[in-house]
Amino acid sequence: MPRYYRKPDAMWREEEASKNLVMKGFEMGEDVAEIGTSIVLSSGKMHALNVLGTEVWKLCDGKTGEEMVSILSDGFDVEREVLERDVKAFLKDLKELGLIYEE
Amino acid sequence: MKNEWMPSAPVTVNWAITNRCNFRCRHCYSRTDTNEELSFGELCSILAKLGSAKVFSVNFGGGEPLMRGEIFDLAAKASGLGLAVSMNSNGFLIDRATARRLKEAGFQKVGVSLDSAVPEVHDEFRGVKGCHGRAAEALRYLKEAGIETSISSVICRINVEDIEGLIGQALSLGAGSLNFHNFKCSGLGFVNKDSLDLSPREWREFYVFAVEQREKIKDLHISLEDPIIASLGQGNSDSLVRGSVCGKLSLNIKANGDVTPCGFIPIVIGNLCKDDLMELWSNSPVLEAMRNKTPRGKCLNCGHYSDCLGGCTARALALTGDINNPDPHCWME
Ligand code: SF4
Repeated sequence: MPRYYRKPDAMWREEEASKNLVMKGFEMGEDVAEIGTSIVLSSGKMHALNVLGTEVWKLCDGKTGEEMVSILSDGFDVEREVLERDVKAFLKDLKELGLIYEE
Repeated sequence: MKNEWMPSAPVTVNWAITNRCNFRCRHCYSRTDTNEELSFGELCSILAKLGSAKVFSVNFGGGEPLMRGEIFDLAAKASGLGLAVSMNSNGFLIDRATARRLKEAGFQKVGVSLDSAVPEVHDEFRGVKGCHGRAAEALRYLKEAGIETSISSVICRINVEDIEGLIGQALSLGAGSLNFHNFKCSGLGFVNKDSLDLSPREWREFYVFAVEQREKIKDLHISLEDPIIASLGQGNSDSLVRGSVCGKLSLNIKANGDVTPCGFIPIVIGNLCKDDLMELWSNSPVLEAMRNKTPRGKCLNCGHYSDCLGGCTARALALTGDINNPDPHCWME
């Protein structure tokens, strides 16, 4: 089972204003998937991650995908299967973008 | 047109810590600027504001930033706050020992200006005999000290015929990147624009060639940060915003703490000695106008507007007086 790590050269920050917007959106039942709640800068390229992407990113400190799903299932009101699929897809994207590595 | 998403604070801040300079460049935007300088304490308190806003990087400039001896201490403080630190310099004052000191102070990247591969042409343009050789040496020392280097070249009449020479020079000096800057028409650039600036047709020819080279040459990152190249099908995929990045991802601080959207736009939106950075970033009507430009003239019917957003705002303002007008360098009919 691979463990995921953020690339050490990556600079990142959470976007508080966008996070608040997402929280409001959640309450209103709106689609918030397109709102970036964090920015990652790595190798001269900048990326905006949405709310789930941000949470996955924050957990890339040596956790496995399964551990991430267990932690996130407390905070996100979605079926475990859906969450598993989304987390897997995010990890794949982050890896393809060169933002994380696995060991 | 509204940018769909805006970061909650600047990502990069360009900071002219002094306007003093040992050069006399014909295109300089800061010669006509303030000579006022902040104390080291004031510089540190501005730095703290950048740190708490979680700005990623600070790029020192000027004037010549090395004319201010505290640059080393300031950079060390900035990197202590987690900021990535870089600088644009003319290279004249960078010897081997200075390059090492810059590394120790935390500089990750230093850009050196070299506008021609022909030493006499560069020396004449920058107004100091022998400065080409010194800049080339500086680049070698910086590399040796373990600092990533880039070369900045302002494209204008003196070098547009020898872009290959500039590329060859960057490769032979081992620079990581070569930044081709468009000619801005601010400060002395405005005064000397008739003898230095290119026509829209010439800008197009230059960009077509530069884009080709960028695709061809793999050992050098060629950067062309000009929104009008959207019309050549070259959107900036590395950026999170469209059009120019000024006031959307970056801000500029002047030697006296005044804040402007970029170094080439002389509109002061506040002063960081007294104002809150986040407040300026979120509520400045000037930034708001730059982020939500209204197409005018030929931009109204241009299919590239959603990527280009009318091109370089600084140039439109300097030459037409209105940020919403099409970039005067634009070649579209
Ligand atoms: S017409 Fe306007 S939008 Fe179109 S490429 Fe020129 S400056 Fe950009």
